[in-house]
Amino acid sequence: MALHDPFDPHHSLTHCSCGRHGSQAEHDAALAQDDADALNRRVVQGAVMRALFPQDAERRRFLSAVGASTAWAAISSLVPFGALEAMAQEKGSLEKKELKIGFIPITCASPLIMADPLGFYKKQGLDVSVIKTAGWALIRDKVINKEYDASHMLAPMPIAMSMGVGSAPTPVNVATIQNVNGQAITLHVKHKDKRDPKQWKGFKFAVPFEYSMHNFLLRYYVAEHGLDPDKDIQIRVVPPPEMVANLRAGNLDGYLGPDPFNQRAVYDGVGFIHILSKEIWDGHPCCSFGVQTQFVKENPNTFAALYRAVLQAAAMANDPKNRPIMAEVLSPANYLNQPKTVIEQVLTGKFADGLGGVQTVPDRAGFDPFPWYSMAVWIITQMKRWGYIKGDVKYRDIAEQVYLLTDARKRMAEVGLVAPKDAYQKFKVMGKEFDPAKPEAYVGSFAIRRT
Amino acid sequence: MSQHFLQVESLAKCYPAAGATANLPVFENIHFHIDKGEFVCIIGHSGCGKTTILNVLAGLEEATSGNVFMDGREVKGPSLDRGVVFQSHALMPWMSVLGNVAFAVRSKWPDWPKDKVAAHCTQYLEMVGLGHAIHKKPAELSGGMKQRVGIARAFAIQPKMLLLDEPFGALDALTRGTIQDELLKIVQATHQTVFMITHDVDEAILLADKIVLMSNGPLARIAEIVAVTMPRDRARAEMHHDPQYYRIRNHLVDFLVNRSKTYAGVPRDDDALHPPVVRPGLEDAANPVITPIDHLHRRAA
Amino acid sequence: MRSETFKAALISALLFLLAIGAWHLATLPKESAALAGADAEYAALMGAGAQQPGGFPPPAEVGRAFVHYLSDPFYDHGPNDKGIAIQLGHSLARVALGFLLAIVAAIPLGFVIGMSPLLTKALDPFIQVLKPISPLAWMPLALYTLKDSNVSGIFVIFICSIWPMLINTAFGVASVRRDWLNVARTLEVSPVRKAFLVILPAAAPTILTGMRISMGIAWLVIVAAEMLVGGTGIGYFVWNEWNNLALPNVIFAITMIGLVGMGLDAIFGRLQKLVTYRE
Repeated sequence: MALHDPFDPHHSLTHCSCGRHGSQAEHDAALAQDDADALNRRVVQGAVMRALFPQDAERRRFLSAVGASTAWAAISSLVPFGALEAMAQEKGSLEKKELKIGFIPITCASPLIMADPLGFYKKQGLDVSVIKTAGWALIRDKVINKEYDASHMLAPMPIAMSMGVGSAPTPVNVATIQNVNGQAITLHVKHKDKRDPKQWKGFKFAVPFEYSMHNFLLRYYVAEHGLDPDKDIQIRVVPPPEMVANLRAGNLDGYLGPDPFNQRAVYDGVGFIHILSKEIWDGHPCCSFGVQTQFVKENPNTFAALYRAVLQAAAMANDPKNRPIMAEVLSPANYLNQPKTVIEQVLTGKFADGLGGVQTVPDRAGFDPFPWYSMAVWIITQMKRWGYIKGDVKYRDIAEQVYLLTDARKRMAEVGLVAPKDAYQKFKVMGKEFDPAKPEAYVGSFAIRRT
Repeated sequence: MSQHFLQVESLAKCYPAAGATANLPVFENIHFHIDKGEFVCIIGHSGCGKTTILNVLAGLEEATSGNVFMDGREVKGPSLDRGVVFQSHALMPWMSVLGNVAFAVRSKWPDWPKDKVAAHCTQYLEMVGLGHAIHKKPAELSGGMKQRVGIARAFAIQPKMLLLDEPFGALDALTRGTIQDELLKIVQATHQTVFMITHDVDEAILLADKIVLMSNGPLARIAEIVAVTMPRDRARAEMHHDPQYYRIRNHLVDFLVNRSKTYAGVPRDDDALHPPVVRPGLEDAANPVITPIDHLHRRAA
Repeated sequence: MRSETFKAALISALLFLLAIGAWHLATLPKESAALAGADAEYAALMGAGAQQPGGFPPPAEVGRAFVHYLSDPFYDHGPNDKGIAIQLGHSLARVALGFLLAIVAAIPLGFVIGMSPLLTKALDPFIQVLKPISPLAWMPLALYTLKDSNVSGIFVIFICSIWPMLINTAFGVASVRRDWLNVARTLEVSPVRKAFLVILPAAAPTILTGMRISMGIAWLVIVAAEMLVGGTGIGYFVWNEWNNLALPNVIFAITMIGLVGMGLDAIFGRLQKLVTYRE
């Protein structure tokens, strides 16, 4: 498919491109003798054009209007075609080429989704299907069942799965962090005057999963305001896509959920954004790119190729100037299936807050892929704090076993990204410093805890 | 051991008790026999076990004790040697008339080719006057026509013996008469051995050589065997001109109305192996002569 | 008779128009007071839902969804976005497969149970316990043991289709008229011939009734199962549009589910008529 010149406005991207052949397959066979470089270039360009213009008619109109060379220049400024084409020529001996990757339709999944239309997977010689999934429990089961080779996961999920908390123990690794920040606490519009968490007694909140940053951040937040999350409020698990519908129906008073469902609640006039999650912990991880350890061991080359594709996608997604185009690509039904303006508000950080104001927070959502061990350690401290795990915990051992920081460094270097030198760092959550060297003391320092 | 075609010996049937008390046998000590080419009717009130006896002969039911021999062999289970015409015609409603008969024919001769089966079936259906309706479904037929199909089906497998369980009970008098005539004609032509249950005294006189009279159940027994001494070439229309007819008829009605219930609980004073044979047609009805069964046969011969 | 049919059709059409009319009137856009004071920039970032607190789409919008999806029912925009015909095809394929498996299991087993009063009694407690379990309750167990979401979906269809068929087959076989069996016995018909030529046709109307009930349940369940497991199918389509809170599309999908369900029922109604005999 799409091996013809995608900048030719006269040809459809879904048929034999030159018209001389009965089918695209014959066309491809004829083209196989063509210059391999040109072929590569067209694969890349075609993929990007298809991503930017899912409707073929629009692409033709656009190209006819501005001319192919102008279009090429404009799009080249957004997408590093040169680098992509170079990558495409590097062919390792891949153990497995056809991969299935699961995702939940939330903006956290942006990099691994974007890697598909941008052709980053193809560039690595991989044929990847990104498959929308109904909930996190299903993601977990499908990864354990090996229906998915890799998947979008919540950052704590691989830790919980590897430790056998909430499922049979299955070693799972975090290849990269998918995204940082990008979550929010949304409340029902009827609570516009209850901005102080102390007024939230008896509220019903939703989080997407038990082993999620959302759960841990919400618990942390209300506990800092003196509420016991297990006694003073109710926290229930609701799949992200169902949060807005439940908020509208009055089943929930609010949620700490992933975007675009915070912005969507505002867009539909049923909720307002109380705070962004970055106000709790700026730079917190949210989702991760998880792979079963067995898959990593059995398919090292495929895994490396996949790693590079996802890292490149993360780098692309992290660049603010790409965000409007990302909103365009992510909004159709195949991916997030949301109004473009909702996704744009999330990604650009210029958004309506549901209270009548427009806020501008450029770092509302980020896509820094580096899997800090210190992030994993913090997650484990919270699992310990809220009683999900008991007894002695080897914080660092687990973190270093599950989070593939060394691999990430290596792969980042391969695609020209600069990785931090440290593996652990101190950071502040609501002003309180976390020292990854002293996790047990950190757990003990909280007044409200289940230990 | 037995020179008769069908020999029934000390048959008894006892259904399992529902309560604590053991049930009385429905009938016991039943002995009778049928010769080849003979037409035997059995008459008795409901509950005397007529249908059970027929089912035992058909092999559909087992007697509690006693034996049945046909053609020198013991009857154990159903057999294609005995054709049965059921009271409720028992046609398969999803098959055509021809299909119903062909089902039977194919069971008897599985190797026959299709056209041979069809020709055979058509022949028998024409015999009962249904040549025009062979492709109809049973639901499209009248009650009498359905029963004719049942008869054709039973005849078509050319059984050694035919068992008819009150086949005309559900039909109106007019239809019944017509089919009786047809049956009479066919039986006379084929010399078929027949055992038939009926409630209709006239039907029995018209068709039978012998009529077995059953006393009321429980503990029913064969009270008498009435020999129909009228000439064999009977016709329904002229039958009532024969003086024998009224004597036999009166005898039968008298039995059914008055005498059938007097046997209950009375110990048998005659020989169960040889129930009394009466010939009311030949004698003065007030003074019947009782002849042992063997004599009767000698005389008939 | 003909004028009766015509009148009924006329009344149906009138009721339909009346319902659409009432719906249209009920969803006429109201004067927006809520956002009157807000600035234009804020308003641009807000959706239509904010202006329409009721949020229920007017018929014209739903009509547009119908035109949109029906004009190109076979499109394929990647694994998560396919045309309505493809989605329905996936659902029907799952239902067909689960249903066929259920037939293969239920009809012979029902035969055996129906022929043997002993087995009827012995298996009855199991059937009575298993029958009322919601098919979706099997889903977590199926996912865990079968380790494949697609197979699990088919399994759920299988498990919900099997009971009405099993029970009806057993009942149909057990209540075949004694007379017909006696005819077969006196004709010394072999067990196989008896099963296919007497018992099966005699019980067929009852069995078909069971199959019709099963198909109805299977079509109800596939939508729920696909909403749970996702991937493909009309249930996934509903779920995906629910995520987007796109009610016109959901209403469109609901209508399609109803129409296909009606079609399936009509097919089985036809089959039922075919095997029903008049006595």
